[in-house]
Amino acid sequence: MSLLNRYTSSVGRWTVRKLTWPRRVAESARTTVEQVRTGRRSVTDVAKTGLGTAGAFAMMLILLFPVYWVFAASLSQGAGLMSTDGIFADPTTYNLDAYRWVLFESNFAHALGNSIIVVSITVAVSMSVIIPGAYALSRRKFLGRRGILYGYVLFTQVGAGLSIATLIALYALFVNFGLDNNLLVLGVFYAAGAIPFNTWLLKTFMDNIPVSYEEAAVIDGASQLQVIREVILPLSKPGIAVVLVFTFLAGWNEFIIAQTLLQSHNYTLSVELYSLIAGGSYETPWTEFSAFAILFALPVAVIYFLAQSYVESGLSFGGMEG
Amino acid sequence: MSSSLIRRASDHGQRRLPFDVQNVGLAGLLLVAPGVVLFLSFMLFPIAFLVYLSFTDATHAGTVIGGEASVVGFDNYVSLFTDPQFWRSFGITWLFLAISLAIKVVLGIGIAMVLTHARVVGKRYMRALVIVPMGFPAIFVITVWDGMFSGARYGPLNQLVATYNSVVSGLVGALDSLLFFVALSAPDILLADIPISWLSGRWSAFFAYITTEVWLAYPFMVIIIVSALQDVPMDLHDAAKVDGAGYVHRFFHVTLPSIKRPVLFASILTAATSFQQFLIPFIFNRGGPSRQNELLILYGYREAIDLNEYAFASAIMVTAIAFIGMFMWLAVKKGKLAEGIDS
Repeated sequence: MSLLNRYTSSVGRWTVRKLTWPRRVAESARTTVEQVRTGRRSVTDVAKTGLGTAGAFAMMLILLFPVYWVFAASLSQGAGLMSTDGIFADPTTYNLDAYRWVLFESNFAHALGNSIIVVSITVAVSMSVIIPGAYALSRRKFLGRRGILYGYVLFTQVGAGLSIATLIALYALFVNFGLDNNLLVLGVFYAAGAIPFNTWLLKTFMDNIPVSYEEAAVIDGASQLQVIREVILPLSKPGIAVVLVFTFLAGWNEFIIAQTLLQSHNYTLSVELYSLIAGGSYETPWTEFSAFAILFALPVAVIYFLAQSYVESGLSFGGMEG
Repeated sequence: MSSSLIRRASDHGQRRLPFDVQNVGLAGLLLVAPGVVLFLSFMLFPIAFLVYLSFTDATHAGTVIGGEASVVGFDNYVSLFTDPQFWRSFGITWLFLAISLAIKVVLGIGIAMVLTHARVVGKRYMRALVIVPMGFPAIFVITVWDGMFSGARYGPLNQLVATYNSVVSGLVGALDSLLFFVALSAPDILLADIPISWLSGRWSAFFAYITTEVWLAYPFMVIIIVSALQDVPMDLHDAAKVDGAGYVHRFFHVTLPSIKRPVLFASILTAATSFQQFLIPFIFNRGGPSRQNELLILYGYREAIDLNEYAFASAIMVTAIAFIGMFMWLAVKKGKLAEGIDS
């Protein structure tokens, strides 16, 4: 409970900090005016900064245009998205009809159920092998440890496309054994793919737990098992949480394999999303598509950015910052 | 004397014995084994099976097991390397990789320099916003870009082109009314013919692939380059300034050398991803028009799933895996992968 409290209060502080930026902007604008008036800063200096900021801002607008478009489109049901003023539609015509369609008339709920089945299997299976594996790689010496780590890192950073290359062999095997179109098999498959990256991530996290804690526990008479249960696991909680997020995303985001293996009543959300734009109808329903896409992607994007600081530290492994 | 002999002998034996029970670390092995086995059974085993398939004459998924396929040796590889479609796919994959990589590096350095520049206020917010595409699922990003490149009259990009057209016409019109003695109209070469069916033309579809690939990968480049730029010592810049170095000179002699290594490493990784790109062509137009833009993995996938040429497709995939292996070797060679392992 205290963990939850701590978490909500830190999220609260973060939100307040992010939402009060207009006040800070006003503050610094006032300071700038003051400085110019008293002659501590020249007008050209201020103008240069203003120009630079405006340029950066314009760059951001161009880069994030697709994000704007998908939001605007999802709100423009029946308001002439595909018309002369489609991309910059009048905000007063925005409505939530497309979302209503997705939630109550499309296959969203059914596909969500399928996705949840797959994701739960992925998370359960992968966590049950990742946690012991990461512990062993972090704390134990054994034959082939270096080789396994090397293989994991290589696969993580370079070999993501290998799973598609091997997909055709797996597809043939699955078809022969009657295992295609099976949500359970799909979940296990995703779990297998998520092992290298997440084991590595959790292992680097456990590496940062000081060994002295374990030594202290051993001196107090704790057994090997107790050390794991009372020291390692509680201290790894944040790392385990991040790995949980990533294994969740591995199952939630994947499309290619699901699309190849599953038939329509087993479609997960990602395949259902694709079937909206490839559904055979002459004109793609872009407003409905956008609403569906946002409902599919926004929750995971939010979760992803809550774990963002860990993502960045995850990216720094392998001496990339060198 | 004899005891020392025994000790020497046993020492020697220990050195000879590679599988000393104490050094194997049985507990550690047992803990890590389930993960390794699960991973390998979905990765190494299919690769081995793929290699086997590539030496048979299997045609569709049903013939793969059950003795219906017979081993034919290197026939698939011979027909693969004499197939013009393979060379077209191979060429377009490398072109895709090269062009998108060049744009990613230039754009990444550009964005990172803007977002670390002293003259920009609110850099931290912008840096947080600019990597937003990283949080979206790939299928989301690619289907949204498919919408952007919609060939409809009022598709988003077609509307932007229409705006550009009217701006050009407007400018020429203004010029026309100034120069009242000549009749001017906008030259056709400056005007785009709308609506453009982006995904129906070979090069416009290729351009769409590149745009999407760059958009998918730029946040990764920006994160790496920003953190590299922040590590460039300010002293170096100041020293160069004192020596009278201009902005361009400082960029090429101070900034670039200090970020070269991370950029190189990030380039290898993102190039490997581009080489394996499958989703973009698959979703946009299945490698069309008329198979001209089939990137390598998509080529193999379509031969197997759509065209029922399993053995032939396996030969393609084995070739692709060989190149992926080359990227891995390159990453090991040029990157510092091993450092994180030994620590």
